[in-house]
Amino acid sequence: MSDAVAARREVFLQGQRAILPSLPGAAAWGLVSGVAMVKGGLAVPWAILMSLLVYAGSAQLAALPLIVAGAPLWVIVATGLITNLRFVIYSAALRPYFIDEPARKRAALGFFMTDFTFALFMRAAQGGALPANHRDAWFAGVCATNWITWQVCAITGIVAASYVPTEWGMEFTGTLALVALVGPALNVRPAIIGGVVAGVIALLTHAVPFRLGLFVAAIAGIVAATLAEDAAPPATPRDAEAA
Amino acid sequence: MTEPVTGIALGVVIVGLALSTFLTRTSFMLAGSRLRLNHRIEAALRFAPVCTLMAIIVPDVLLHGGVYQFSPLNPRLLGVLAVAAWLCWSRNILGCLSAGMIAYSLARIFLA
Repeated sequence: MSDAVAARREVFLQGQRAILPSLPGAAAWGLVSGVAMVKGGLAVPWAILMSLLVYAGSAQLAALPLIVAGAPLWVIVATGLITNLRFVIYSAALRPYFIDEPARKRAALGFFMTDFTFALFMRAAQGGALPANHRDAWFAGVCATNWITWQVCAITGIVAASYVPTEWGMEFTGTLALVALVGPALNVRPAIIGGVVAGVIALLTHAVPFRLGLFVAAIAGIVAATLAEDAAPPATPRDAEAA
Repeated sequence: MTEPVTGIALGVVIVGLALSTFLTRTSFMLAGSRLRLNHRIEAALRFAPVCTLMAIIVPDVLLHGGVYQFSPLNPRLLGVLAVAAWLCWSRNILGCLSAGMIAYSLARIFLA
């Protein structure tokens, strides 16, 4: 094995280790989503196919009642598309880090990205902790581990839907994993302002269909954070990078 | 109410949903290499993780079934506060998740 391959393998393992302690969040959310798909009225083989191909819990759960109600194809797909709009923001944020990679690799890394893996990657990349030439290997390690965990748990939930207790609220572990990730990032004024603006707008727009409020809230938060940074620029650009 | 989508039509729906996640997730990743994002936008996107995560978390904690839950005894809020308290003295994520779920579960059992 060449040194380059060994180095990439090591970085891939580092990615796996980075997501390991947060996996209970993906596991619980995957399991409960799987149960919800079947209890919502989807047959087991279709639920498994959907989990494997779509791999987006919130879009799947948004589409489910429409499928059961026999809504037109375009309405269901449009609902999925709008629910997924936040991924366009993630894709734009990730772009500069992978711009020199071949298209098929960018397509694969993009497809396996989720809310959690995206935020974990951005924190590591902005913290300067990743070797620039092996960022893709680190992200692949994170995403592969998250994907396997999610799928195993979702399919378990689909197959054993009537045996999984859903009244304990275990899916909240997924939200707490996001809290643990975002908490330490709320350490500079622009981030706090952006986060509060995004949170408040998301709260006020919860009744807007298709989770469109989430997308609008995220954009508003990003704009607010940028304006806050313009109003009081950090001491040096490097400090801002590291924050 | 019409019949549920089944059979081939359901297969088409699933492929359509799969395409919608693939297209949104890879949108900017696959856009041609000549597209260069304005550096202002690139800088602004540093805040994308914080803002999107907060937009996901806050409604999940402070809303239940479409109703605002601003009570300080809201179990989800107590779970988040336990995580925040834990994060102040440790970066151990497993401990953090455990503390949050214990606080949340105890609040659900005893404060409900």
